[in-house]
Amino acid sequence: MGVVKKVTLYTSLSIMGFFSVFPLLWMVATSFNSSGAIFKVPPTIIPDMLFKRGMWSNYVSIFKDYNFGRFTLNSTIVAFSAAVGQLITCSMAAFAFAKMQFKGKEILFGLLLATMMIPIEVTIIPEFLIMFKLHWLNTYLPLIVPSFLVGSFGTFLLREFFENVPDDLIDAAVIDGANSFAIYRRIFLPLAKTPLTALFLIAFMNNWNALLRPVLYIDKESLFTLTIGLTNFQSQYESQWNLLLAGSVVSILPLIVLYIFLQKYFVEGIAGTGIKG
Amino acid sequence: MIYDHIMRTRRYVPYLFLLPAIIGLFGFRLIPIVWAFLMSFTRWSVYAPPQWLGLANYKELFSSELFWGILKNTFVYTAIYVPGVMIIGLILAVLVNNRLRGIAFFRGLLFAPVVTSAVAIGMVWGWILSPRFGILNHVLEHWFSVSNPPAWLGDRNIALIAIAFVAVWQRVGYQMVLFLAGLQDIPTVFYEAAKIDGANRWQRFWKITLPLLSPTTFFVLIISIIDSFRNFTIIYTMTRGGPGSSSTTLAYAIYQNAFIFSRMGYASSLAYILLIIVGTITLINFYFKKKWVKYKY
Repeated sequence: MGVVKKVTLYTSLSIMGFFSVFPLLWMVATSFNSSGAIFKVPPTIIPDMLFKRGMWSNYVSIFKDYNFGRFTLNSTIVAFSAAVGQLITCSMAAFAFAKMQFKGKEILFGLLLATMMIPIEVTIIPEFLIMFKLHWLNTYLPLIVPSFLVGSFGTFLLREFFENVPDDLIDAAVIDGANSFAIYRRIFLPLAKTPLTALFLIAFMNNWNALLRPVLYIDKESLFTLTIGLTNFQSQYESQWNLLLAGSVVSILPLIVLYIFLQKYFVEGIAGTGIKG
Repeated sequence: MIYDHIMRTRRYVPYLFLLPAIIGLFGFRLIPIVWAFLMSFTRWSVYAPPQWLGLANYKELFSSELFWGILKNTFVYTAIYVPGVMIIGLILAVLVNNRLRGIAFFRGLLFAPVVTSAVAIGMVWGWILSPRFGILNHVLEHWFSVSNPPAWLGDRNIALIAIAFVAVWQRVGYQMVLFLAGLQDIPTVFYEAAKIDGANRWQRFWKITLPLLSPTTFFVLIISIIDSFRNFTIIYTMTRGGPGSSSTTLAYAIYQNAFIFSRMGYASSLAYILLIIVGTITLINFYFKKKWVKYKY
């Protein structure tokens, strides 16, 4: 590769890269400003509290005064349970679709396929009424159960993977006396570690970032997830941008950390399962 | 096969494996889809029993200026989002499809916004776009001497467009990854042959890359269009549909009518309009797929 081309490429990549992380950096920078500094004109590029005493005071404040610790815990509980559930539901269904013959297989699969693209906004009103009738409002359940049980993309991803597992493995296990659940549990799940990890991370991410269901189902502050905690803070304390953006940093940090260490799974999972939740 | 024999003797076993998925499929997809359809013919405000209205909700929709405004907003958003993520996504994919030192770092950087929450993104962009204290207007005024920079989210004519650009910024890494996978599937022999024949870089891009990428492009197109209708989170976070109803899209209007105005029946008719649009676009795409995705190798 020629020097000119290399320089052009690095320059374009750096410009694009800058634009893609600038808002995230600006979020972090603002979160280290004092409430006086955020309204300075011209804006301060270097945050006034950075590396000074009380540098973390915005973060201390959102955890101590505004309950963001609780919101983080709630988000973790919801996203983790929903993601585990999705692994169970999708892997079991995928196993049946990939390796079993049964009546209605084509129809069921077709229905999964047909409903896959339908946005959640289409079904959310009846879903709300179901949750209302079940007396599940203001519990974790309406945030967890629908994602636990619905996962067409995950089912397709795993079905394709399971179809490529040779039947000889199953035959050998059957001779050893294994039943179908043991085959699923001891042969298929361990083989699918990579797609399962990817699927877990994507489901975790989607539920961590979800807003519509928390907005509809939760109005008790102690059950707020981070997303609704943030929008609620925004409407109550409109001008406290430094605190709001400290909260935003808290809300994206866990995913960014996971992403840095498990980038491969995120990219594979998102490319494989498509579409946000 | 022994396994088949065992499966044949216990017919209920597959359904046990499918039980959670079946409950989910019926409970949270099929039944709500049918239910929403029925509700769209009623007046229903949660607290009073539903009342059959026939086609009245749909008549009201089509005769209300507000609805056409919402529909227009929905398509404006799509018309910015889809070309935006596809063109920039393809450019980024071509850029990061080079063997360079540190290319993985750049890929990682460009993809990072995709994993962050649209709520946090909406917050920081709201701050960047703040008319008086935002960094963008500061840069416009002092670096580019724009005398009257726009109020962005406070401006009826600009709010929706600004949100669509933010969405492009956040999601484009996703299209980049999809295009990158497509690019890497194109066998290098084609490029080598073209080079020998004396084709320059542009010719190679137009005559080899684009045609051979068309299956990927088609897939990315469908996903991006459908994705563009799922804009509740970013609209809720950045403007709540305002100023006025200038950034209200179908997804947001469904929420607003059902859960703020308590018009569940009317909101269901909006939901069905959304369902019909998504369904139609998927079908059209599948039809055209046969026509223009014709290159196989």
